[in-house]
Amino acid sequence: MPTTDQPVDPGGNPLIARLPRYEPASIERLKTYPFLEQVNQRILEKLQPNLIERSYAPGDIILRLGDYNDAAYFIADGVVEVRISAVNAGSEDDPAPRAAPTPVTGARPQGLAARLRHIFARQPLEGAVQVGGRATDGTVILGDMPVGGRPGERVLLEPGEIFGELSALSRYPVSADVVACTQTRCLLIRTPALRMLLKQKPLASFKQMVDERYRTRSLSTHLRNVELFAELDGSIIAGLQRSAELVSFEPGAQIIEQDSAGDAFYLVRGGYVKVAVRAGPSQLAITYLRKGDYAGELSLLMDEPWPYSLFALEHVEMVKISRADFDQVVASHDTVRDLLWQSAVVRLKERGVALRSPVSAQYLQMAMDTGLIHGESVLLIDLNTCTRCDDCVRACADTHGGTPRFIREGTRFRQWSIPTACYQCTDPVCMIGCPTGAITRPIGSLEVTINKDTCIGCHNCVKRCPWGNIIEVPYSSPTINRDIELATKCDLCLGRTQGPACVQMCPHGSATRISFKDLETVTTTLSAEEMP
Amino acid sequence: MSRSFLRPKCRTWFIGSVSVGTGSVALFAVLASSAPWSPGRFWGLTFGTLAAVVFVLDGLYPLRRRLMGWPFGTAQRWLQFHIYGGALALLFVLIHVGFSLPNGQFGWWLFGLTLWSVVSGLVGVWLQKWIPTVLASQLSVEALYVRIPEMADRLQSEADAVARGASDLLERFYSGEIRPSLAGVAPSWSFLVGLAGDRERRLTPFRNVAQFVSEDDQDRLKGLEAIVTEKFELDAQYSLQRALRLWLPLHLFPAIVLLGLLAVHIFAVLYL
Repeated sequence: MPTTDQPVDPGGNPLIARLPRYEPASIERLKTYPFLEQVNQRILEKLQPNLIERSYAPGDIILRLGDYNDAAYFIADGVVEVRISAVNAGSEDDPAPRAAPTPVTGARPQGLAARLRHIFARQPLEGAVQVGGRATDGTVILGDMPVGGRPGERVLLEPGEIFGELSALSRYPVSADVVACTQTRCLLIRTPALRMLLKQKPLASFKQMVDERYRTRSLSTHLRNVELFAELDGSIIAGLQRSAELVSFEPGAQIIEQDSAGDAFYLVRGGYVKVAVRAGPSQLAITYLRKGDYAGELSLLMDEPWPYSLFALEHVEMVKISRADFDQVVASHDTVRDLLWQSAVVRLKERGVALRSPVSAQYLQMAMDTGLIHGESVLLIDLNTCTRCDDCVRACADTHGGTPRFIREGTRFRQWSIPTACYQCTDPVCMIGCPTGAITRPIGSLEVTINKDTCIGCHNCVKRCPWGNIIEVPYSSPTINRDIELATKCDLCLGRTQGPACVQMCPHGSATRISFKDLETVTTTLSAEEMP
Repeated sequence: MSRSFLRPKCRTWFIGSVSVGTGSVALFAVLASSAPWSPGRFWGLTFGTLAAVVFVLDGLYPLRRRLMGWPFGTAQRWLQFHIYGGALALLFVLIHVGFSLPNGQFGWWLFGLTLWSVVSGLVGVWLQKWIPTVLASQLSVEALYVRIPEMADRLQSEADAVARGASDLLERFYSGEIRPSLAGVAPSWSFLVGLAGDRERRLTPFRNVAQFVSEDDQDRLKGLEAIVTEKFELDAQYSLQRALRLWLPLHLFPAIVLLGLLAVHIFAVLYL
């Protein structure tokens, strides 16, 4: 039961009912978990801060569909129910490929013809729920629950089961609601601990279990989500599922060295990878890879050494496909071969551009250094044309009840100012651990929004945003009858038909929004010769 | 500098306006050659009405945010209409009066305010193209206008901390030549002429004194030089951003008076 000072809604229901009781786990207690029995004391002490026991009452929501999560959940006691929705249904049995959505930026295409082309070219994210979203963002949804099922089906998990690990490791949105059916106790293995556990040699079986779960439940869906493999026969997918190797890399690790022998094809399942080419003593960035992107086709197709290096920009999870399997895939399907050649040509072209014009690599390097690569819709202001009139800020305030959702001041790169405004990250870490579920992003949409009626001003999202783009404003919450520091952030003017007000109301056309998924636009925009 | 400040930002608006302007002048030339021109006759009244309508629409520019960009869609198109419409309105006024000088004091006021409003607007366009490029290309500090005084005020205490414990020579140099210049933001119109001279003037004393300062104090001297450089940039930012802001009243208030006189002019034509 909630204590008297817990915030409640007007109906008297506790707002943070889903915030479970917290029970710090002692070392002795941790040793009672079977998979931790073989971990030595020293490692266990390191793991302890990130191993948390939590209890849930019947009906408590443990994970919510669409949430981002930073822990795997090991069920110690009790039973939980996984409520399958349309988003992740039939991940294995349904071989229908998901159409690759059109990359979306905040800016609309200019001109009637371009707008019509854009409208007709739009493809919905098949099977994904879109609530209030203006557009899809191509988010890959993988089933991270150890179950297969149909929408509406009740699937129960019992003690000894683990769930949420894929979301924690690879930052996929949670693919189902998970609700406690009985009094339940879970061990939360937070991401740093999970990564550590997966590296422990004595815990090879634990790693094997996690890998196997991904291999059987998610890999086929993942492969089907990649345009390259979307049309492959089920038997080939099944073969890849069996033989593919799952590999992980630490931030900064060199995954592939330029000029080394090409022996495998790599598919990114989590994290960001820098593709760089050697130029004297430096490594020029030619592009970066993210979930669903791949590398290695060039050296395998041409039977030549790798023409570039790969570096892990953060924790990276990849699927490694051997040359033999790759050759089988290529031989089986003309479309795959064509797509691979197209991709190889694009990569060679990017390599050529970087070598001929090292300046262009600076933009990509800047994007990687500053974290902008995470941005789905980043506000940029061209300082060469901006008259510092602050109309963008005023327009934002006009749209949001008098309080602007961004600060024009921010970082600067050449003539571009990057204001303190939400980047709408691909993997919004701000969404992790919101105790009331106030911060949400409907699956398949771009906008991360904060519900001011359920925000309790706990600062969790503010502290989690790596870019400091969530700001707090004083607010007297009528829901909880308390003055709070309300977390506010840019929501891309959700529901505003003209799009983000900051861009629309800039009299000089200096404000623009770009998605760092679309590297061509990024390079074209950032390197464009400024017009007065 | 490769950029041309005469290059239009939106070519369509430029070409459209030049076409309308050229067509209007050609029409005037044809009509004026066939019959005596008078502001009170059909074509004279037509151009006068057009000018009045455009001036009134131009006067609605401050409402663009309330109108959420309507009817042009974006504030940028609103501004393009404001600029090119204003320039065309001046041309329509000139055609309205048959390219002759106005009669009477009221006519001169109308004419003078029209000319002032349009020319000050075009000066504003030029300033809004030129100053941002100076701010972006010649200054590394980017700051919000309202925060600059506060940022400048902080620099003096930072410099005091750097100079603390310095040798007598550096102490005298700091308190005599540097510290007074760090007292608050110091806007100057000279920044509109150029930045290089002022920067040089502020930093030259550091080069002069560097050879006499001991090894121990060289880092302090560099620290003070960095603070003075930042102060220079803040002063320049403030001065140039201030110019962008001060220009507006010079355009806005005469334009408001012009709209008032225009109303009187229309009333007089219709009812007197």
